[in-house]
Amino acid sequence: MKRRDFVTRLAAAGGAITLGFGCGRKITSESNPEEYESSKKSSERKTITEPAREIEVIGETDVLVIGGGPAGVAAAIAAARGGAETYLVERYNHLGGLWTGGLVLPYLSTHARDTKNQFRQVIHGLGNEMAQRLFNLGMAIHEVNPVIDPEAGKYVLDEMIVEAGVKMLYHSWGVNAIMDGNTIKGVFIESKSGRQAVLAKVVIDCTGDGDVLHWAGENYENMYYHIGLVHRLGNVNQINKNASGYKKVPVGDPTPIPGVNWVNMHGPNDQDGIDMLNLSRLQLKHRKQIWESVEEIKKVPGHEKIFLLDTASQMGVRMSRILDGEYRLTIEDSMTYKTFDDAIGISGAWTNILYNGKVVNMNERPMWQIPYRSLLPKKTENLLVAGRCFCFEKELVEDTRIIGTCLVTGHGAGAAAARAVAERVTVRDIDRNKLRELLLKQKVWFG
Amino acid sequence: MKSGHIRLISTLVAILFALPFSFNWATGFYNWLSPFILLNSFFLLKSLVILNILGFVVLGFSFVKNRWFCRYLCPVGLGCDMVSKISPIKSSYMKKVPALARWIYIISLLAALLEIPVFIVLDPMAIFNGFFSVFAEPFSWIVLISMLGLPFLLLLHLIFPNFWCTKICPLGGLMDDIYLLRRIISRKTDSINYNSLKTSRRLFLAGGAGIAAGIVIPKFLHGNQIKKLKPPASLHEPLFSTVCIRCGSCIKACPGKILIHDTSGWMTWMTPELTFETGGYCHEDCNLCGTVCPSGSISPFSIEAKKKLYIATIEIESEKCLLTRQKECDRCKAVCKYNAIEIRSLENSIIMAPEVNLSKCVGCGACSLICPAECIQMVPV
Repeated sequence: MKRRDFVTRLAAAGGAITLGFGCGRKITSESNPEEYESSKKSSERKTITEPAREIEVIGETDVLVIGGGPAGVAAAIAAARGGAETYLVERYNHLGGLWTGGLVLPYLSTHARDTKNQFRQVIHGLGNEMAQRLFNLGMAIHEVNPVIDPEAGKYVLDEMIVEAGVKMLYHSWGVNAIMDGNTIKGVFIESKSGRQAVLAKVVIDCTGDGDVLHWAGENYENMYYHIGLVHRLGNVNQINKNASGYKKVPVGDPTPIPGVNWVNMHGPNDQDGIDMLNLSRLQLKHRKQIWESVEEIKKVPGHEKIFLLDTASQMGVRMSRILDGEYRLTIEDSMTYKTFDDAIGISGAWTNILYNGKVVNMNERPMWQIPYRSLLPKKTENLLVAGRCFCFEKELVEDTRIIGTCLVTGHGAGAAAARAVAERVTVRDIDRNKLRELLLKQKVWFG
Repeated sequence: MKSGHIRLISTLVAILFALPFSFNWATGFYNWLSPFILLNSFFLLKSLVILNILGFVVLGFSFVKNRWFCRYLCPVGLGCDMVSKISPIKSSYMKKVPALARWIYIISLLAALLEIPVFIVLDPMAIFNGFFSVFAEPFSWIVLISMLGLPFLLLLHLIFPNFWCTKICPLGGLMDDIYLLRRIISRKTDSINYNSLKTSRRLFLAGGAGIAAGIVIPKFLHGNQIKKLKPPASLHEPLFSTVCIRCGSCIKACPGKILIHDTSGWMTWMTPELTFETGGYCHEDCNLCGTVCPSGSISPFSIEAKKKLYIATIEIESEKCLLTRQKECDRCKAVCKYNAIEIRSLENSIIMAPEVNLSKCVGCGACSLICPAECIQMVPV
């Protein structure tokens, strides 16, 4: 009897295991033919240890801003104008990041509904100053969400940085955080001059990808989003609409320069924006597609004179890391005119959204305040995070990743850093009222 | 407390549930209590759900105490009695009118066994809720007039006092017979009015009529059906229209406000129709229409099951899409709770367009609602 029992159980167990494996095999998801060789297969990765070495300290400063995009430029100028000695590190040869180098020319979203339901300009402060300077040069068009000329943008931002007295470190990558326990003390940078260090009382992460917060050991989420590459077309004012066989084809949107259009590219979904191999693959693919697209446009009767002016020098990475900070800004905050004691500014919105089961049109969206707490990491002291990687709900991404919001968060972070230096406290402990005073003095609008 | 007081309170509760202010989940409560709807639905669909317990409880009480529901709970009964009281005509005159209630319910139930519960819409709870459901959607005369059953009933009682409750109401007739059954079982035969039993011939005729109706009527219903959007988990046509009691509970319960009264054909008249014109969509976290439906024409379903309950299918006019004009937009993909939309490049070029995975898309309509270029249409499956 016992033996029979044993055999029965064995057979049952065997059957169950077979069944389990059989079911398990069915669950595999379809593999994507476009799948690339990811650099993240850590088990197969071969490694080598770099020897420790002495690093030259090229600067000791009050405020160090990593990344010269809209957030970084605003942060550096705000900090310098607030009285702090400021360094700005930029990997490319221009300021403005995706705004200029990425050819994402529209400065969204300057306008929104105020508490009296009036559609009005909500972003003031440094963003407004930059736009005004560009308007004065004749290098910006449209009052709502201005579209700028990238070269003029680079020129104006350089000018403002120099005027503010910021020490500019072009052609340099931030490569690692210099930590002392939980406090950030500076950042290693790398350039043609080799690896160097800049020590600072406050570091502002304006990398967009949240590189510094990653090195500092903060928690974050890596959001996969679409990655494109913008290009510009020339001679669009010489399209001959009377040519026989003329057909309307998309040639992008006007820029301040007559005859030059910028052409957006949405790009494929769900892309990892901090995987170098993925970025390289997309770069090759996108540039080829753009060339072919322009060739196709030229074949359409009437479009013969169109030419490819340039492709953007920066890939259009729309999202990557999102900080897990002291406060997560929610879609509800953005829809209910929520006010914060520690607000650093107001931004607008440019997309339709579903809110409480109803569609809210882009022109009906309320303005929304950004609290200082959403720029603060949970653990690291003296680190601020500005730009598209600050702490917010993913549903809000379309309105946080845009130029205008980056300018607002950058401005707030820079001013806060200046206050922390002046008050000799950590950025977490600054007097929020004094911060507000400084921001008001720098023409930020709080509603 | 007197039965009259309890009924008054019950009526107030019923009105509260039926009015479109709140209590969406409870809007079908009084319909669930009706054993007439329960038996029709049960005979037709040959299946039961958990909320049918309510109907059986009422049925059980009726077995113990005659017309218990009418006396204590029925809001229509209260209204009819009140009007009858102020009626100038004496009710004694009504005694000569033959009672039709028994035959109505018998015909309806037997026909229900064969696919068509012919008189299900005469349930008093359905008439009551139906009237209030007028207020649940944007006002229209056609719906108001169609839903005037309750005021009509009340006015009728000015001329024929107690006409509905004693002579017509199939729910009342059913309860009368349930109680009669009990008296027969308990052999209280001395108190039985034997006239009411001398009915075997009529019973036979009524049963025959019911079965005949069940066989014949569906033959006429398979005509041309215009494709309509219906709530998720709806029965197929023409079964849907025959089982639906037109109580309007689903229309009131729907948080997306996408259910309206169908006024397009005589068969589907006043059944719920789903539309995306009202600026709503089918919420991914809601199963109220299936929960409140007392007749089973919308089956109860779980939120998880919603991923497989197709309401509509989607048509995208790519030429109008912002993406094909190289504008920045991903709204349809962003709002899709079923991950049915991918944005892909057209012929490996830089032009992108949304692409729908039709096995994932249930047709909730959120993308069509949010699309800034209005290039997404929801069409019947």
